[in-house]
Amino acid sequence: MTMLQHSLAVIVVIALVFAIAKKCKACTELTLLLAAVGAIIAHLILPMGEDPRSALPFTEIIRHVVEGTFNYFDVCLTFLTATFFMTLYKEAGGVNYMVRQIVGRFYKKRILLLLLLTVVMMVPGAVTGSGATTVLTVGGLVGAVLAAMGVNEDRRVALIFLLAAMSAACPPINLWAMMAAAGANMPFVGFTWPLLILSGVGALVSTFYLTRGVRNTKPVEEVLGNLPEAPAGWNALRAFVPFVVMIVLIMGARIFPAWWPVFGLPMIFMISAGAVLICSPKKVKVMEIAVTTVQNLKELVGIMVVVGILNQTLTLTGARGLISLAVVILPIWLLFAALWLILPVAEGVLQYAVAPLFGVPLIMLFNMLGYNPVVALSCWSVMWPVGDCLPPTAVVGRAAVMEMNYKGNYYKGLVKNALVPMLVILALCTITMIFNKPVGDLLGV
Amino acid sequence: MDKKLNLIKSIALCVIAFCMAVAGYLFWEHRNYKEPVVVSEYITEVKKLSDYSDVVKGTVNDSNVYIFDSGVEGGTFLIWGSTHPEEPAGVMAASLMVENLKVTQGKVIIIDRENNSASTNTRVGEAYPRFFTYETEWGTKIWRFGDRHANQLDSWPDPEVYIHYPSGQTLANVDIRNTNRNWPGKANGLLTERTNYAVMELIRQEGVDMTLDFHEAELEYTVENTIVVHEKGQAVAAMVSMDLTANTFDVPVGMEFSPTALHGLSHREVGDYSDAASYLVEVAEPMLDRIRGITDEELLMSGKDRFVMMAGDRGLLYAPIDENGWPIEKRVARHIAVATKIIEVNNTVNPDQVITIEGIPTYEEIMANGLAPYYHNPATAPAERVYYD
Repeated sequence: MTMLQHSLAVIVVIALVFAIAKKCKACTELTLLLAAVGAIIAHLILPMGEDPRSALPFTEIIRHVVEGTFNYFDVCLTFLTATFFMTLYKEAGGVNYMVRQIVGRFYKKRILLLLLLTVVMMVPGAVTGSGATTVLTVGGLVGAVLAAMGVNEDRRVALIFLLAAMSAACPPINLWAMMAAAGANMPFVGFTWPLLILSGVGALVSTFYLTRGVRNTKPVEEVLGNLPEAPAGWNALRAFVPFVVMIVLIMGARIFPAWWPVFGLPMIFMISAGAVLICSPKKVKVMEIAVTTVQNLKELVGIMVVVGILNQTLTLTGARGLISLAVVILPIWLLFAALWLILPVAEGVLQYAVAPLFGVPLIMLFNMLGYNPVVALSCWSVMWPVGDCLPPTAVVGRAAVMEMNYKGNYYKGLVKNALVPMLVILALCTITMIFNKPVGDLLGV
Repeated sequence: MDKKLNLIKSIALCVIAFCMAVAGYLFWEHRNYKEPVVVSEYITEVKKLSDYSDVVKGTVNDSNVYIFDSGVEGGTFLIWGSTHPEEPAGVMAASLMVENLKVTQGKVIIIDRENNSASTNTRVGEAYPRFFTYETEWGTKIWRFGDRHANQLDSWPDPEVYIHYPSGQTLANVDIRNTNRNWPGKANGLLTERTNYAVMELIRQEGVDMTLDFHEAELEYTVENTIVVHEKGQAVAAMVSMDLTANTFDVPVGMEFSPTALHGLSHREVGDYSDAASYLVEVAEPMLDRIRGITDEELLMSGKDRFVMMAGDRGLLYAPIDENGWPIEKRVARHIAVATKIIEVNNTVNPDQVITIEGIPTYEEIMANGLAPYYHNPATAPAERVYYD
C-alpha cells in the first residue's frame, strides 16, 4: 500500500464513520470525534507506504488528541466571554433600550436604518475577525430591530448569519487572510481595500436582498408599543459606556501599539462586562448568567474542540496533506472554477484550519504562476466565512440560530434564504480572483 | 435512564481525566527536558543572554551564549539557531559548532536556542513529534522539537493584530511570538520582542561584525536553499553562493537581497539597527510543507515525502526532491558549510575582520561520516564542559 492509498483510506474511514454515526443519530460533536478516532485506528492498522515510519506509541496518540483540543482555544474563550458580555447587557435591559432608541429615531428612514444596522453588524467581526462574536455581541440587538421592521424570521436569521460572515471577512482583521499570510511569510499589508470592497458589497447585497419588500408603514408608536420596555434608569451614557470601553481597549492597541498593553479579546470582553455591571441601573444575577452562557455555548465550543482533534488527526495521518495536494495540483482553470465550492465546504468541516491548509499552498502556487497573491487571498478570505453555515460545524449559523432563538428549519429557513446572497458573494470573489492582476493594479496592491 | 446517563457521564469523565493526565505529563516532560551540550574544549566563556540585557532575566529565553574568543584581534561573528524550533537543522548545526569549534583569530559567538520558549511546545494542529533524535556511538542524542512561535505559557494573549515596532507594519497576531518577525526587538515588549532586544544588545556590546540566522523552509516556498542578506553583506554572500554552488553542493545555494519593505526579519533589521552585516540561510525541509503526508519524526529527519515529490513532479516546488529526500545530515552540512564559507570569504573582503577557525567538519566530511562523530557524550564528558539548553 502506498502512502497515497493509506491517506485516501483514512479519508474513506472518516467518511464512513461519520455517515454511520449520523445514521445512529449521534450528535455532530460525537460524530466528528468518532470519525477522528476511526482515522487514528485506520492509520495504525493500515500499511503506511513505501518509506520507513516512526512508531506511534499509545501515549503519543493521546497527546495528539488532547493537543488537538487546543486548536481553537482562544476562539472558544472569545465566544464565551463575548456572549457573557452581551448576555449581561441584555439581562440588564440595555438591548431593549438600544432597540427602542434605534427604532424610535430611524424607523421611518428605512435605507438609513438598514445601512446603520449593517455597519453595527460589521464592526465587531471587523475588529475581532470572528463572525460568531458578531452574532453573539450585536446579533440579538440587530435581530430585534429587524423583527420590529417586519422582516420575517427566516430572512432575519439568514441576514444575521450573512452579515456576521461578512463582518469576519471585513478588514482590519481577517483571520483567514492573516493566518495564510503568516504561513506564507507575507506581511499582512495591502489587504484592506480588496477585503473591504468584497465584504462590503457582500454585506450590502445581503441586507437589501433579504429585506426586499419590507415597508416601514406602521406608525412608530405602534412599533414601539410592541417592543419590550427597557428598565427605568437607562440613558444614552449608560447604554454606550460598555461599548466605548470595548472599542477603546481594542482600538488603543491599534493607535498606540508601542505602549498599549496587550489585553486579548477575552479580557477585553470581561472588562466590558464589568462596565455593564457598573452602568446597569438594574441588578443582574452574574453567576446565573455565567452558567447560562456556558450552557448555551457548550455545543458551539464542543464542536470547535472536536474539529481541532479532527484537524490534528488529519495531519498526523497524511489525510490533510492529501486534500491540500489534491487542490493545488488541479488544472488552473478547474481551480478557478471550483474554489467557490471547495473553500466554503472546507470551512464547514475545518473552520479556521482551512487557512493554512489551503491558503498557504494556494498562495505559493499563485506566486509561482505570477498572479497577485494579495487579491487572490482576499477573495478566498471572503469565500471561506460563507461556509460557516455549512455542516458539520456550521458555527456561525448555529450561533445565529441560538442568538435569535430561531425555531424554524435550519436548511429550509436559514440556508435557503441565504443562498442567493451567498452565490452572489462567491461569484463576485471568483470574478475578482480571475481578474486578480488588473484588480491589483487598480487598487495598487 | 438517568442511571444509565450518569454512568456514561462518569465513564466519559474518567476517560477525559486519564487523557488529560497522560497528555499533561507529556507536555510537562517536553517543556522541562534539558538538552545537554558538551562544549568544545576551546570555549572561552558561556554567558547568559541576560548578561547583555536584563529584560530577559528569569525568563525561558535567557539562553546560553557560547563564546569562542581567540584573544587575537579580528572580526566577531554571531551565529544562532532555533529562531524557529520546527526547523531542526538550525539547532543541530549550532550545537555541532559549539561542541567542536576552535577559534584561532577573532571571536565567534553562538546561541543554540534563540527562541528557547518556542522549543517547549509543538505547533497545535500540525501533529508534530515532541522530540527528535540522532543515533551516535555513545547513545541517542535528543532535542526538543517545537513551534515557530513562543510557547503561549510564556507569552499570552496575543494582540488582535501584531503591529511591528518600530516600523508600524501589520502582521498576523501570532507573529508577535515569532522572533523572526520582531527584530530589532523592544525592551518593554512581549517575551520575543525582549529576546531580540537582548540579542541586539549583545551585538552592540560585543562589537559583532556579522550575524547568521539558521533556518529551514518548505519546498513550496520561494525563499529556498538560499542566503538572504542585508546590503552590507551582499559581496560576501554572492561569493559564498557562487563558490558553494560551483564546488560543494549538489543543489545550488542562491543569494537574495533582504527586502527593504518587509520588516521584523533578522536579515533586514539587524543590519539596519547595528553595525553588523546580517545573513540568513535557508535549506529545504519537506516536513514544513502543508502538502506533506504522514507526519512523524522519520519525515522530519529523512526529509522523504511522496506527496511533496508528487508536487515536485508537477513543477510546483522551488527545490528538487526525489526518493532520497532531504536528510538531516545534508541540511546541517549545508548550514555548516555556509557558516564557514562566510568566514572564509569575509576574511578576504574585510581583512580587518579576520576570523580563523578549526575543528568544524566540511560538507564532504559530514556527508561521508554523518553527524554522530561530532556530538559528544555528556555522561562521560567533564562536568565543567556540559551545559544545558
